[in-house]
Amino acid sequence: MAKLRVIFENGDPEQIIEFDPAKAPFHHDGRPGSILDILLGHKIHLEHACGGNCACTTCHIIVKQGGKTLSEATEQEEDMLDKAPGLTPTSRLGCQAVVEDPNAEITVVIPKYTINLASESEE
Amino acid sequence: MTQTSTRPTRVAILDRIVDHTSDTRSIFLSLADNHKIRFVPGQFISIAIALADETRTRPYTIASPVGEAPFEICFNRVPGGRGAEWLFDRKVGDTVEFTGPYGTFTMDSAPAAETIFIVEGTAIAPVRPMIHRASAGAHHAMTLLYAATSPEHLLYRAEFESFAARDGTFHFEPMVTQPHDVYSRLLAEAERRWVAADSDRSRHFYLCGVGKGIIALRDLLRGAGYQRRSVHYEQW
Repeated sequence: MAKLRVIFENGDPEQIIEFDPAKAPFHHDGRPGSILDILLGHKIHLEHACGGNCACTTCHIIVKQGGKTLSEATEQEEDMLDKAPGLTPTSRLGCQAVVEDPNAEITVVIPKYTINLASESEE
Repeated sequence: MTQTSTRPTRVAILDRIVDHTSDTRSIFLSLADNHKIRFVPGQFISIAIALADETRTRPYTIASPVGEAPFEICFNRVPGGRGAEWLFDRKVGDTVEFTGPYGTFTMDSAPAAETIFIVEGTAIAPVRPMIHRASAGAHHAMTLLYAATSPEHLLYRAEFESFAARDGTFHFEPMVTQPHDVYSRLLAEAERRWVAADSDRSRHFYLCGVGKGIIALRDLLRGAGYQRRSVHYEQW
């Protein structure tokens, strides 16, 4: 079994999920077996405004541990991450980072802020 | 888990429906408080699709120019696409809940260089407000290479032809293709005109469409020497 520890920068209680990566998909958004897919399948919310299609950065996560057990980031994911606020060397998009090791031990931080270029007010 | 977003949910009323073809529709949405939505050309809203068993969020790009109210989203039927089916079932007067706008495939002002838009089908949606925005001010030459599987699926054709007729620096190039060779035609055209024809690598590109063909276009252009940040794309 793999283990995913989730830390929320907004102060929500930490969560720990144990799961079998071979049973992916767990939900229907993001790449099967991705952090987004795992979280949604375990009833933990992670923003994914584009539906988990690598078209926004609202599922930005920071990987604190276990990054090497995740799929490598594609050029498309890196292009998108370039536009994420609070980018770190271990930033990933939750919808794209797939857990590849059945015994992975991963810790991720969900940042408090994600990008939203347009003001949410209106004229 | 029923929550789909932590962002403020906004409510719009379906004001009008326009069918472009039997499988492609635009709906026009008014914010419930009659304000105008603020967005950057190219952005999308994330609509809450209330299915019988759960609520999903699906992105729909704003296809109307900035400042227009009601605002427009454009979509087509997709096999197994529950979001589009749900939207096709909406009637005038229905409410739609959404968050956003979101997205980073945007163009807030015309690039300081020749700009090429390469799109197919309903992926014209993000590019239409970009062209409106760019055309409103001084701009370098712009070309819209737009592929669709029938003349009827070339959306907003009259509008782009009108732009081209009055603005000598805007070139509209529609292309009708078979479904299986949309991207082979677009790739061949891009290679012929913007890779093989000259050594100018100052152009900016905006690419949008469904599937891996957009990635192939990106790789063609970046591989030919165009700057990474000059090749903008969104893969649907």
